[in-house]
Amino acid sequence: MFEGLADLGHAYAGFLNPATLAYGLGGAFVGIVMGILPGLSATLAIALLTTLTIKLEANDAILVLICSYVGALYGGSRTAILLNIPGTAANAASCADGYALAKQGQAGRAIGIATSGAFVSTLFGVLCLATFTPVLAEVALSFGAFEFFWLALFGVTMSGSIVGNDPLKGWLMGMLGLFIAQVGQEGLYAYDRFTFGWDELSGGIALIPALVGAFGLAEVLTTLSDPIERRIVELRDSVLPRFREIVQYWRTVLRSGVIGVFTGLLPGVGEDAGSWMSYAAAKAVSKEKAQFGKGSIDGLMAAETGDMASIPGHIIPCLALGIPGSAPSAVLMAAMIIHGIQPGPMLMIQHPHFVYQVVAMTTLASIAILLFGLFGVRPLLHILRVRRAVLMPIVFVLCVVGAFATASRLFDVYAMLAIGIVAFLLRRRGYEMAPLVLGLVLGPLLDKSLRRGLVLSDGSLVPFFTRPICIAFASVTLFTILLYVPAFRALVQRARGAVADGIRSLFARGS
Amino acid sequence: MSTPEPTDAPTGPRSDLADSVGWIVLGIAVLIGSITMDRLEAQHINPYTVPGLLPGLLGVTMVVLGGVLAMRSWRRIAQHGPAAPADADQREDQREQWRRIAIVAALCSTYCVVLIGHGLPFWLASAIYVAGSIVILQRIGRDDPAQALAPRSVIKALVIGLTSAVITHLVFQDLFLVRLP
Repeated sequence: MFEGLADLGHAYAGFLNPATLAYGLGGAFVGIVMGILPGLSATLAIALLTTLTIKLEANDAILVLICSYVGALYGGSRTAILLNIPGTAANAASCADGYALAKQGQAGRAIGIATSGAFVSTLFGVLCLATFTPVLAEVALSFGAFEFFWLALFGVTMSGSIVGNDPLKGWLMGMLGLFIAQVGQEGLYAYDRFTFGWDELSGGIALIPALVGAFGLAEVLTTLSDPIERRIVELRDSVLPRFREIVQYWRTVLRSGVIGVFTGLLPGVGEDAGSWMSYAAAKAVSKEKAQFGKGSIDGLMAAETGDMASIPGHIIPCLALGIPGSAPSAVLMAAMIIHGIQPGPMLMIQHPHFVYQVVAMTTLASIAILLFGLFGVRPLLHILRVRRAVLMPIVFVLCVVGAFATASRLFDVYAMLAIGIVAFLLRRRGYEMAPLVLGLVLGPLLDKSLRRGLVLSDGSLVPFFTRPICIAFASVTLFTILLYVPAFRALVQRARGAVADGIRSLFARGS
Repeated sequence: MSTPEPTDAPTGPRSDLADSVGWIVLGIAVLIGSITMDRLEAQHINPYTVPGLLPGLLGVTMVVLGGVLAMRSWRRIAQHGPAAPADADQREDQREQWRRIAIVAALCSTYCVVLIGHGLPFWLASAIYVAGSIVILQRIGRDDPAQALAPRSVIKALVIGLTSAVITHLVFQDLFLVRLP
């Protein structure tokens, strides 16, 4: 334990130099700008910055990416408040109350609450990150091929079920992602799958170009397809962070922090789930339920703390298991691999200090957004006044650079273009991108784990269902899928009702 | 298998039905590709590790999920009847959206396929693309389309295009040493 604290101390001390601080502030700045721009997501911010920072030292590059991740989600709240459009998907829950406050002339107050909530909840998440990652990594050391098979399948299934409102479409996107990940040379025998003799495809569809297409070009098309350009609400009052309200709503902050971190731990669920679940929980216990959606401080605080606390939450499984918690953390994981750091159970053995460095980086990110919240709100809002006809072509130029830069292949630019157009069409038809991303990231792991597992068991499927951790993952995965079958769902609801009645009658008798 | 109507389903059952056909066709294609894939018998590999194993399972899953989507869409169409036809305004809005999408996709494709990677310096290709896009997007915008072709607007677009392209070039290539197309 003391060794861990010493590592943490070294990590914090290591960041106290002007160059590192400048990288952190720069990353947070780019993240906030990307977050403010409607539609441009944290995923795109990290993907583009991965290419920009490819020649930097690993620690500096990851610092920039983590700061941009935190910055993008924080920046997204401003668009939600001033434009009633979530800057990133995670800020959707902030729209109703934030925009209502803005319409009442309290836009500055709403932004101040978002700043203080974001700062405190990120710090809470950082605390959980420092505490749980080494523990989870220790547990994960006992994982073998069978466990990783279920973990990968669990991630794609959960992502498909929770993201969006149609699990069936989510799972189909997960399958598509898993399939795309199979294209190219496979890991065991270097055999070319689905390449049709095309050499360029042997390397597979790279993650960064695919994500830049799915989140960048698709957003450019979405934004520009709307014939009407929205105008922002004017900012009149003070935007300074409101820590008094943090004290006043400490229960909401703490509850949302816990919910945010917990949802973050679930693979592929995304920051928006943390935000919506916190919002729903706050509404359920609030004394001012009627105010929710009409400018509730409690509601805005819950939404903003829930999504920000889920960021460190998402990084925990990413580091400890090598399973990303969300689309942005998937890109973050890919960036770590590019810089020679392989996340997963072996991380604590191969790079024992890295987890603590990530803790220090996330702390620095929360301080950076507080600084921008104190001094940079009004200047940064000018970005929202730039017309989309000017902004979006520039964003697309960055997408092209982002797709090209990791491998210097024009093929990646073409792949980005094709994936972007297909992703845009799929999104219009109600298909979410997060399960696709999870499928893309987890595809190679699923493939290797299945085949290695079958070799170890000599073709028997029994170990996939009998090892203790496998039983847990398999049960949850199959239960999630079976919930889609109406007869099973009705059975579960009846059982839940019976248990609730039983508990109620037990308490009634006791009193 | 039937499911309740989603609260805010973004698309109708008819388009879902069309999608399901696409998913089933893709699933079958993946399955055929996996079955016909080399099993590397000449290398005497363990038969449980054939390269087509997981893709084949994914193909089957796509077919099954596509089938469920088809059944669900079919039932919803039967339950709720065909969707009400869009009114003239909605149709006009749809047409306008698709026109804008086609123009933006064409601009992006031209930039990626024609302008870059064929000898033209990146900054010049990007400047042409950005300036051209600004002029065209303002021209198809609703605010003041005629104004978009005024000399002042065109010069402004050229300046923005050139500035953004040169800054991108300098930041990526010279400052962060990233290779550009």
